Amino acid sequence: MDSIKLEIYRSLYSSVAEEMGLSLRRTAFSPNIKERRDYSCAVFDRRGRLIAQGDHMPVHLGSMPMSVRAAIERCDMCPGDVVILNDPYAGGTHLPDVTMVAPVSPAHPLTRSPALLFYVANRAHHADIGGATPGSMGAASEIYQEGIRIPPVRIVRGGELDRDVFNLLLANVRGREEREGDFAAQLGSLRVGARRLLEIVDRSGFKEADDYARHLVDYASRMMKQTLMAIPDGSYEAEDFLDDTSESGEPVRISVRVEIRGARARVDFNGSSPQVRSPVNAVEAITVSAVYYVFRCLIAGDVPASAGILEPIEVIAPAGTIINALPPAPVAGGNVETSQRIVDVLLKALSQADPALIPAASQGTMNNLTIGGWDERRDQEFAYYETVAGGMGARPGADGLSAVHTHMTNSLNTPIEALEYAYPLRVRRYAIRRGSGGEGKYRGGDGVVREIELLVDACVSLLADRRRFAPYGLMGGGEGRRGSAELISGDKKRRKLPGKFSISAKRGDRIVIETPGGGGCGASNDRTVRETEERKRNKRK
Amino acid sequence: MLPGDLDKRSIMMKKTKITRSANAHSLRIGVDTGGTFTDFIAVFKDHQLTFKIPSTPRAPEQAILDGLIELTRAFDEIDGESDASRVAMDIVHGTTVATNALLERKGARTALVTTAGFEDVIEIGRQARPDLYNLSVTRPDPLVPRELRFGLKERITADGGVIVPLKQTELAWLREKLKRAKVESIAVSLLFSFADPSHERAVSEALEALNIPVSISNQILPEYREYERTSTVVINAYLAPVVSRYLSGLTHALSRHASKRGGSRLRIMQSSGGSISAQVAAREPVRTILSGPAGGVVAAMQTAELADAGDIITFDMGGTSTDVALCRGAARTTNEAQIAGLPVAVPILDIHTVGAGGGSIAHVDAGGALRVGPQSAGADPGPACYGKGTRPTVTDANLALGRFAGGGLLSGQIKLDEERAAAVIDELAAEMSRASSERVTRVQAALGVIRVANSNMERALRLVSVERGHDPRFFTLVSFGGAGGLHAAALAGGLRIPRVLIPAHPGAFSALGLLLADVIKDYSRTVMTSIENSHGHPREIERQLAALEKRAIRDLRAEGFAPSRMNLSRTMAMRYRGQSFELEIEASGDCLAKFHQAHLERYGHADPQRTVEIVSVRLRGAGITEKPELKRAGRVQRSEAQPQRSALVWLGEKRVPVSVYDRAGLKPGAMIDTPAIIIEYGSTTLVPAGWRASVDRWRNLRLDFREEIKRQKAKGKRQK
Repeated sequence: MDSIKLEIYRSLYSSVAEEMGLSLRRTAFSPNIKERRDYSCAVFDRRGRLIAQGDHMPVHLGSMPMSVRAAIERCDMCPGDVVILNDPYAGGTHLPDVTMVAPVSPAHPLTRSPALLFYVANRAHHADIGGATPGSMGAASEIYQEGIRIPPVRIVRGGELDRDVFNLLLANVRGREEREGDFAAQLGSLRVGARRLLEIVDRSGFKEADDYARHLVDYASRMMKQTLMAIPDGSYEAEDFLDDTSESGEPVRISVRVEIRGARARVDFNGSSPQVRSPVNAVEAITVSAVYYVFRCLIAGDVPASAGILEPIEVIAPAGTIINALPPAPVAGGNVETSQRIVDVLLKALSQADPALIPAASQGTMNNLTIGGWDERRDQEFAYYETVAGGMGARPGADGLSAVHTHMTNSLNTPIEALEYAYPLRVRRYAIRRGSGGEGKYRGGDGVVREIELLVDACVSLLADRRRFAPYGLMGGGEGRRGSAELISGDKKRRKLPGKFSISAKRGDRIVIETPGGGGCGASNDRTVRETEERKRNKRK
Repeated sequence: MLPGDLDKRSIMMKKTKITRSANAHSLRIGVDTGGTFTDFIAVFKDHQLTFKIPSTPRAPEQAILDGLIELTRAFDEIDGESDASRVAMDIVHGTTVATNALLERKGARTALVTTAGFEDVIEIGRQARPDLYNLSVTRPDPLVPRELRFGLKERITADGGVIVPLKQTELAWLREKLKRAKVESIAVSLLFSFADPSHERAVSEALEALNIPVSISNQILPEYREYERTSTVVINAYLAPVVSRYLSGLTHALSRHASKRGGSRLRIMQSSGGSISAQVAAREPVRTILSGPAGGVVAAMQTAELADAGDIITFDMGGTSTDVALCRGAARTTNEAQIAGLPVAVPILDIHTVGAGGGSIAHVDAGGALRVGPQSAGADPGPACYGKGTRPTVTDANLALGRFAGGGLLSGQIKLDEERAAAVIDELAAEMSRASSERVTRVQAALGVIRVANSNMERALRLVSVERGHDPRFFTLVSFGGAGGLHAAALAGGLRIPRVLIPAHPGAFSALGLLLADVIKDYSRTVMTSIENSHGHPREIERQLAALEKRAIRDLRAEGFAPSRMNLSRTMAMRYRGQSFELEIEASGDCLAKFHQAHLERYGHADPQRTVEIVSVRLRGAGITEKPELKRAGRVQRSEAQPQRSALVWLGEKRVPVSVYDRAGLKPGAMIDTPAIIIEYGSTTLVPAGWRASVDRWRNLRLDFREEIKRQKAKGKRQK
């Protein structure tokens, strides 16, 4: 193995993933993909192992390999095929995230049994995938209410789009035209990825390209092992809660026990609550993603996003619980809410192992807001989806950032000037929620206030958390403020809303979302000490 | 090599006789201000001069004026008459004033006026963190603090309708607030101002009386996406006082200097690779953020094209920083650039900069690691070997290794004090010894400094190539900038770049680019119309393009271009209705078919059934400038060049004899024995063993990496 080539291939494969993302963004139609970049693209070797992923959405990172595995196992793909899927119980995560997987084979499909050299895949969050509420992120008690469920099926066969499958899908979603365009963008992005990979093979030969794909996986695994070695051996436990209530009337608990032994880790979620009849259930892929994310953050410096990272880590996720739900549990919020809480719990546990590294709790939610209905201006359906940033937890040594997406998501906001152009909505206020971060030697970041007025009657859903249990502080730092939501009616009446709701609202109504702040780090009275120190230091400069 | 008779004071120049008769009535000058040196290239009648003098960072115009006086005199002497001091001066300037003010956060105290309720947009940004898996991630603070952001009660909608009119009382309140805030500059960015600029206009009128420069978003960047637009206009406002002070000072000084001549004209290089007038640059300094580096890229493109060098990576190593850019076919501009972590949405050449250069200071950090840069000794005090500095720099390390081969800098204009360099490197070696508890020799310390500096620069080269999926093995490295020649081969070797091109006058190459660049004026208008058939485009579009063309012609004429020297190109930004990003399609023939084809090629799919819309029409007006002609040798004869002498140089931990050549004495076709050091005015090049060096017909020095070429040949993969 040549260390320079290793570096080159690492960059090559990840640039393929980045370019797929660029192509998807530039050709997509819905603001959630083209403006908010709620998508991920990845490259897999011929065995279906992840070798590169663009720096898109962490929550997709650990879960895309399962989509590819499901596609390979269930569909026996041939050159020119593309498999589509979103079924959380068959390689997906939640229904709006639709994944497409394609094998990459040499440019001449007529050669007899051409080899499959790589797989490329992309996943995009569609602003609607059918179901009971526009935006497909509303309250539900079964997955059937959340939208159309697509097990791995071929949408393209031998290079030809399967119109039957495609029409079946489009008949089940709101905003057919937009959806159709977004699917086309996903298909195009796969082609861009395949083309780039074949260029690499043309230039350097498949053997070298494949060898280095393997080296990349091994390399990431070595990096992870080194990182684990540096963490003191031991068993670290933590628990935290979601706002929802389980059937026993107790808050939904997520508990974890992280065991570090030399170069290996075992992450055991036994003790977590059974799955519930509200959409905060996470499938196993989500839980694995959260583990992947947290441990990857511990690796100092850059490491290829490959399958190797998880190799030294064993995840135990008991089936039928909130972190490994079984059908027909609804799962829309598992991806976006529960995944955040799993991260909080893991970090809380690891902070015992390495307090100097781990931040206090960040906002711990993505504040999923969906608004949908009939756009009178254009005479068509609309579905708007957005996640709203909040406060980052304070770090041991730095304040948390304000108004920023943390942990499992990094999607952008929809520019107001794009949002109002696309939807019958008007943004009235978009500001930092001053003072919402937890106090402490280092302060938690502040959350956000976003106020949106409806210009037509519409169905509004919110899927958010940290309305009951505040983001925790560390080492004596204060809690971040909890989030809240309010409806201001046309007649100025204000109504408090819970963290999770779906309501019909009228033209002229305004929704005000206030997102949680991050927890503080260190005792408050140490802040004065810190400020004095910093002043002194600045003076000396 | 050097016409010694020109050396009357401290400045030495290199003179080239050019064959073509340039415009006899003007003196054309390119001036590129760098952190360490100010480079000049001047063309007058049949002659061309290049030279450099130390920059004067606190007052960059000083070095420029000194240089102008000097070069006028020099021309007069060549000429024997004093024509050069009588004709008008046509100056194109690459400046770092804007860049430095932004990087060092030394811009003006700036206020921001927004729509009420949206004062925090520049702080929230796009709500994303720049680094995904980094728990200690940070974001730069906004340039305008909370207390200097003012929200106005007003609102315009997406279709340009006014739903909350802007009242006079609001404007009065704003005026009062701004007066009390004691700001030096004001940025105005209201929601949907690109759809209806009337409110921004009203604000600008209301603030006129304050006599504070105001930057208006619909003028700087009339495009949607409020954060990117606001960021761009805030940067503009933040820089405007600094840049306009500088440019008006310079203009003033120039007019005094040129009062006896036919006058002077000053143009400023924009980050996009074309120049604009000093007046526009003073108003819109955000367009000059990469002014300096842009010149080098323009020159490199031209040189590489002439030399048939294929795709290139530019490597511009100066005293303080190194700029790299990758050009495949054409230099790429982006409007998604981030400078110092802040989005700049006006077009900028895709250039990456790192804080590593000849003046970068080496030190041992708390953890015992040897670090080089980003602090730089700059022009003042400069590296220790220049006589004033006391800290070891990359240049000192090169000197301690004998890599200047006994030559000075700028043909001896700057003497290099070997003892001083040895002394500071010895100190560094002692520090390194303490840190590692093992004795580190002077040579080891110096080699360490070079290695660390190279790894910093290599990272930059990787970022634009490997990390964007371009394999360096298929590129040519075009190295220029005073300090590059000593490092280019080592860097190329490390990245397996098989070929290095070092153009003539590498030390003043960016300045050359300034003279090679055209005057570029970009115009656009949002039209947002659907296009139904494939035969031509709607009459309205044609009308808009014609209007833009008229404006361009008027403006270019005002800049002194005759119609025969104008080049107008029409394009349309097209997309499928509903997309957010456009493809730029040439506005002629069957645009619709061209669009579908381009979409298919670029993105892997096209849908002729979908409605296509024209978002905006664009017109680029280029004023074709008089360019110095790059001279091509008529007949090239291969011949072994004779070294001037031999010198003992540390290459690695061994001291070996190296042939020393004078570049001025190398004729096209000359083959050079390696290892070699090639000395010239403004630069020194080190060619290690394993490389083949020759001079091509354009007088470029061409280095070929034998091993890599052999390797590629062996694989049968050698391309181009």
